[in-house]
Amino acid sequence: MQKLHLALALILAAGTSVTANATNWLQLQGTEPAGSTDRFNLWGFIQPEYDYTANSKLPAGPWAGQKAVFNQIAPDLKSSSTFNIRRARVGVRGANVPIDSKTNYFLLLEAGNNGITKYGDSAVAATDASVTLNHIQHARIRVGEFKYPGEEEGLQAIHVFNYINFTAVTDQLLLERFFDGDGSNTQDENKPTGFGAFRDIGVQVFDWFDWLGFEHTYAAMIGNGNGLNRTDDNNNKDYYLYWASEKVFGDSTGPQREGWKLLAWYQKGERTLKYVNGDNDKQDFDRKRWGLGTTYRKGKWRAAAEYVDADGMVLNGTDGGAVPGSLNNAETQVASFNVSPDGKANGYYLDLGYKVLPKLELDLRYDYLDRVKNIAADEREFTNWTIGAQWFFNKKTRALLNYEIRDAKAPNFASSAPPNQILDETDNRASVQILAIF
Amino acid sequence: MPIFTKSSTWLPALACLALSSQLWAAPAEKPFAEKKVVLQISDDDASKQTLVLNVASNLIKHYGPDRVDVEIVAFGSGLRLLFADNSNAGRIDSLAENSGVRFSACMNTMQKVTQNLGYEPKLDANAAPVDAGVVRILDLVSDGYVLIKP
Repeated sequence: MQKLHLALALILAAGTSVTANATNWLQLQGTEPAGSTDRFNLWGFIQPEYDYTANSKLPAGPWAGQKAVFNQIAPDLKSSSTFNIRRARVGVRGANVPIDSKTNYFLLLEAGNNGITKYGDSAVAATDASVTLNHIQHARIRVGEFKYPGEEEGLQAIHVFNYINFTAVTDQLLLERFFDGDGSNTQDENKPTGFGAFRDIGVQVFDWFDWLGFEHTYAAMIGNGNGLNRTDDNNNKDYYLYWASEKVFGDSTGPQREGWKLLAWYQKGERTLKYVNGDNDKQDFDRKRWGLGTTYRKGKWRAAAEYVDADGMVLNGTDGGAVPGSLNNAETQVASFNVSPDGKANGYYLDLGYKVLPKLELDLRYDYLDRVKNIAADEREFTNWTIGAQWFFNKKTRALLNYEIRDAKAPNFASSAPPNQILDETDNRASVQILAIF
Repeated sequence: MPIFTKSSTWLPALACLALSSQLWAAPAEKPFAEKKVVLQISDDDASKQTLVLNVASNLIKHYGPDRVDVEIVAFGSGLRLLFADNSNAGRIDSLAENSGVRFSACMNTMQKVTQNLGYEPKLDANAAPVDAGVVRILDLVSDGYVLIKP
């Protein structure tokens, strides 16, 4: 089955089918149009939403009868039916001296309720604070906090994201939560101490150029590898490499540019855990990620396919599928977030969208994740289908409706074993979101 | 220290006004033009760049390239429209080559910009230097051009 999934991904990756946004995100997010940028452009967006699952309880294990973490709505994990302000961001960007195009800046603040504010322990947090220096030909330099070059689903501007929730592969392998321990302390919930949001603090060198009818973009970056708004917690830096080649169709520009893009990326770093394998034993672990992808947009069609491979520091669910912090029925253990420091994983997604009406787009996405595939007892497989619709009220306002058919299993256990009994209770999820950009 | 602020855009304009001699003589006017228009861009609002180019395009589209003579004069913070690296360079090329729209760049502003930036920005190949943008406008108005400041 896994081979079939991969084959489907490769067929789409080959560009033989209608395929998502083909846009140069490094250019759009890191630079301003030369000679035509204001000193101060105020902008932002708001995403109120409602999410619902059937709130099926854990059927087995030490937390049987309690809430299942995967049926609660993030980031608070307290409810299965809730309104939330997923994101509320306001920012400024521009050229500090308009007549000089060589220096650009970008500042964006988050006031919504999500991992950035919850795990950052702050009601408002900076997601981006960067300066781009365009002084060296073919080597623009961006310094500060910003999205690192990488997977398309994470790198794209979130206000043009075609779905409400990320794919399992992006959420669990790339939307990094930072921990002090691996979760083996039975008396601690191992709450994340930081959040990545696909961003890092560091220095990036990048540029783009036309060659053989394609627009080629490269980027190399070095960063703390320690999430948002924090200094490094060790002296080991993260390294990022990125390449994209895009056939741009016609004269379209901006986040909805028409084209066909191929991309590849790699990142490597180390993470420090202070509590490992039930012991106060400070250790560094490698964290590597790489991926390939393609995106396509033309006329009414858009599509994307990406593959992601992970080695080290892989999220490993929660104890018994329980909500972190909850006590087991025997009152001997606190459920915690878990990390597999040496775990390996891979996954992919296929995404297709079609505008059936000028104001209505229908979307379909399939995603697959094989988590901790190198440790039989911990291996979990996630497969999700997302059916979506987007109604465009105008150019900057839309409503998104998603229904996710979610499935998870522990492939190395019998279907009647407790891990599979628990995972079988994974509910489908319905979400509605309004997005307004200003 | 900002080079230009909205409140100080009159400074380079005034400086341009102080100069009267022309560095550049305008190319021959269109002999069959029924309308003659000079468009002014002199502030740093980026959206004005698009607007002034749109107005030029619309004039050409409405009257036809032979029936309307359009010149865009840039000075003050508006001069950056005519910098070589401006993101609108493609449109400027097209208007100049296909529609005969002329572009004039104030050299007095250029001098001030060079002083402030520490280097001389490269001008668009379609930009013709004039000593003073405002003087160029006055001369064109004297010659029967209608001044429009979008």
